Formats: sequence, C-alpha cells, structure tokens
Amino acid sequence: MAELTPKERVMRMFRKEPVDMMPFFSGMGMVLMPAIKELGYQFPKIHTNADMMAKSAILSSRMFGFDSMVVPYDMTCESEAIGNTISLYEDSMDILYPTIPEKMWKTMDEVQIPGNIMELGRMPMVVEALKICKKEAPELALGAWTLGPFTMAGQLLELDILLKGIFKQKAKVEDTLDKITDMIITVGQAYQAAGADFITLREMGTGTDLISPRSWKELIQPRMRRILEAWKSPKVLHICGATNLIIEMMADCGADAVSVDIKNCLNESREKLGNNHLLLGNFDVFALPCKAETTAEEAIAGIKQNIDGTVDAVWPGCDLWPDIKEENMRAIVKTAREYGSKPSPAVGRL
Amino acid sequence: MATKEELLEKMKTGVVEYDEEAVKEAAQQGLDDGHVPLEMIMDGLAAGMEVVGELYDRNEYFVPEVLMCADALYAGLAILRPHVPKQKEGLNAQVVIGSIQGDVHDIGKNLVKMMFDVAGWEVHDLGRDVPLEKFVDEQMRTDSEVVAMSAMMTTTMLGMKKVIKMIKEKNPNVAIMLGGAPVTKDVANLFGADGYAESAGNAVSEGIKMIGRLREMQKKA
Repeated sequence: MAELTPKERVMRMFRKEPVDMMPFFSGMGMVLMPAIKELGYQFPKIHTNADMMAKSAILSSRMFGFDSMVVPYDMTCESEAIGNTISLYEDSMDILYPTIPEKMWKTMDEVQIPGNIMELGRMPMVVEALKICKKEAPELALGAWTLGPFTMAGQLLELDILLKGIFKQKAKVEDTLDKITDMIITVGQAYQAAGADFITLREMGTGTDLISPRSWKELIQPRMRRILEAWKSPKVLHICGATNLIIEMMADCGADAVSVDIKNCLNESREKLGNNHLLLGNFDVFALPCKAETTAEEAIAGIKQNIDGTVDAVWPGCDLWPDIKEENMRAIVKTAREYGSKPSPAVGRL
Repeated sequence: MATKEELLEKMKTGVVEYDEEAVKEAAQQGLDDGHVPLEMIMDGLAAGMEVVGELYDRNEYFVPEVLMCADALYAGLAILRPHVPKQKEGLNAQVVIGSIQGDVHDIGKNLVKMMFDVAGWEVHDLGRDVPLEKFVDEQMRTDSEVVAMSAMMTTTMLGMKKVIKMIKEKNPNVAIMLGGAPVTKDVANLFGADGYAESAGNAVSEGIKMIGRLREMQKKA
C-alpha cells in the first residue's frame, strides 16, 4: 500500500486504525525559528497576522516532516479579545510569547464573557489563519487548540484568586469556570468550522502539583466532559505537570487521546489505561531538540525511550520551543518513523 | 493565661489549618506576654509551615492549601516582624527575586519569597515579567548575596542562562537560585545556578527544609 499522507496518518491514528508508520505531530505550538527566518518574519509579528501565522505553521511542518500544523501560537487570544492588553515583546531579542501583564478583572464577580467573542480581538485572525492553512497545505493535519477553563481563568484573573477560591469561594469558582467553559465551547466549535481536523483542550494548570485529584474530579472533570462532548472528534485532552494520579479521570472525559508532559510516568499510565486508549506526549521539548549540549545520538535515544514508554505517536509534551537544533529535530522525526515502525499499544501498522 | 508553648502550638496549628485569626491572636498574645518575637516566628509560624511542607510532600495538601497557609503565616509575620530587633547595618542577608521576562506567573516566586521573609532576609522583589538586565542591575545596586529567578514555561527559562552569565561575570560570589515548572536539576547545573526548585510546591518543600535548617542553626547559636 502507498504511503499515507500526513493527514491520513493522523486521522487514522485517532480512529485507532492501522497506519504506515508512527505519526510525528502535535496539537500544541510547533512553530520553529528556521521556518520563521526563511520566511523573513520576526517572532513577535507572527502572532498578529493571519498570513504570517499560517505560512510559518505550514513551513515549520514541511521543513521538518511533521504530520500536523498547528495554530494559534499563544494563549492570550481569548483574554485579549475580552479586553485585556497583550505584551508582544517587540523590542526583545529573545523569543517571547505574548502575555497579559495586567488583568482588567480583579475579582470573580467581574467576569462577563461577551457573546460575540469570535468577532473580537485576534479571534477572526486565528480563524483566517486556519482557513489559509487548510487551503495551502491540504496534505497536513490541521490542529487548533484552546486552554481549558481553569487555565484560561488564569489568563483572565490572578491565579491565586482561583486557587484559594477552591476552598473559600467554591460556588463563585464554579460559576466562573462555567462561564469560561461556555466560551471555550464556542471558540473550539468556531475553529472546527474553520477547518481544524483535530482540536486539543489544554487544561495545563491542573496537574496534581497544583490541585488535588479530588478538586480535579469535582471542578475540572465535569467541565472537560462538557467541552469535549460539544466538540467533534478527533479531540485531545492535554495536562502539564504531575498527571499520574488523574490519568484515568483524564481518559474518562470523552477525548480521543490524552496527552501528558515529561513529569508523567508513561508506563504507569499505560498500565492504568490499558492498550485501547491513545496516549501521547512526555517527550522533553527542551532537552531533546533544543539544548545545545544534546547530541543527535542523545536525542535519538530520548525518542526511542519515549516510544518504548508506549506512546501511540511521537507528540511533544508541550509547545516545541522554536529555537531548535535542526540536526536534532530531523533526527527526532526520523527516529519516530523508523523506530516506530512496529505497532503501538492502541494503533496497528499497515 | 496561655503558656508560651501553648501560644507557639496555636500559631503552628493556625498556619497548618490556615486559620489567620488564630495565628493573629496567638502572635499578639505572645507579644503582649513579652515572648521573644523571633522565637515566635521560628517555632510557631515556621514550624507550622514545616508541617505544611510535609503534608504537601505526602499529597495531602496541594497548592491552594499551601497558599492559604502562607496567608496565615504572613498574618502572624506582620504582627511579629516589626518587633524583631534589626541586625547591625549591613548584616542582614539580602535577596533579589522575580519572575523572568515573558513570564507573568508568580505563585512559585511568592512562595519562595515567603521563605526569605520568614528567615528575616531583606527581600528585593522585582515582581514578574522582569527584564533580564533588571536582575543584574538590582543585584549590583543592593549587593545582594542571592538572586532567585522563576520561570513557569520552557519558553522563558532560557533567559535565566543569560542573567546568570551576566551576574557571575560581574560578581562570581552571588548565589543563584532557579525555580519553576520547566527547571530541572540538569538545567540548573547547565545554566551555572547554585540551587533550584522545580515547581511552586517543590519550592515550598525545598524552602521549608531551608527554614528547618535555619531553625536548627539558630538553636545551636
């Protein structure tokens, strides 16, 4: 059988159908400096221009042979659309993603999500970037993502208000999360309507190094379920930090795959989940592709270890840091394809 | 009238159970009864925070609980600290602390700051989203012994390396502490840092161990 296109490979993987080789893709940021430089762009500019965003996403993937392209790049789009000012760090020589330096809402009482969120700020631009990607690179799987409600709340309010509120103002926290959940459903549906082939819900700040499994079950899981139920498949749930204590609950939220970062013990997760769940992530996005001292051989060994950890695709455990070492990045993708030629726990081979 | 031990226990339990009012009452009572404020801080507030660290390590407490315990600790500290005699000019240890440019997260940074506050250090808190050069300038201006930097994301962690290089070039004796989710021991070593804490919770846990050591040293002195 002929080799699958990147998009076919990803979509078949999500359906747990056999693929020709291990997919290498992400649903989180994977824009890379070599592509940005080749296009003659500057890092702070690619966040605010649909054409630059789409072209840098496409070229990053094509340059290194990824199976997906992903937009947007930063986590401030919704917060900016609601009325906060972003910092783009246009004068900095470093690669810095946009942030919200000051949040306009100081209390949970002030949270009021506009009904027309998709018409505000950069939201129409992200939709436009998705459409350009879809048109210009039909061979690649198109990924979009949004933050989950708790993590998104951290872009709208000071996080310690939410964290302490779990105990002191639980009803208000629940109400705030519900409002944000509704917004996230709207945003995800708009991204899917614009052509996203798959979507990732990044509830990053809810690992058990931050909140308890009990809080996760009570506050986070019901909202994960509500969002994921409202979105079409394929959809991925990603959480950063410590996730081994909640991995079974993560897998019970309606996502087609769960994604974790380097703090997760993959083998333990696989044992808990069994072989019928898609498990992604855990590969170290700094040590393997970026760290100046890491040799290509060490990067290869790291990816082999990741595959041996029973992932169903090689998928970075977080945003790929844009300033990768090209040699390592290429070695990583090549290793994923070659070492991943045998079936993974949930996905067979053609 | 409550004994000193009872007041210390009330403060300690108040911190663990995040009962700000109980901590305030015990701290004020301790002052009114003429107990030594530094002893109240170390054997009441800091001792309570040590228990909190153990509860965090055992996955009984998580960051929300720790933040509330920190509020209780600060409530007591606000009452007691002004009554601790100042050391002779220039003898108080100093630290410059902040979250690095591009990072607007400061929970971990604030928990580490608490550790220095308890220990009686002079803390120069630069806040968050701090430009790299500002760490260097502030260290030079204050001649601080320690610079503590925090980054929540891989994307901002790399800036730390530059700051360490700039500071160490000018003053190799400054101790550098790194903290934040993406920072591992390997990264800290690679960047030339002297210590690290990988998460807000880990910062608490490590910081509390440092407080514990300080208490032991104080008892020996």
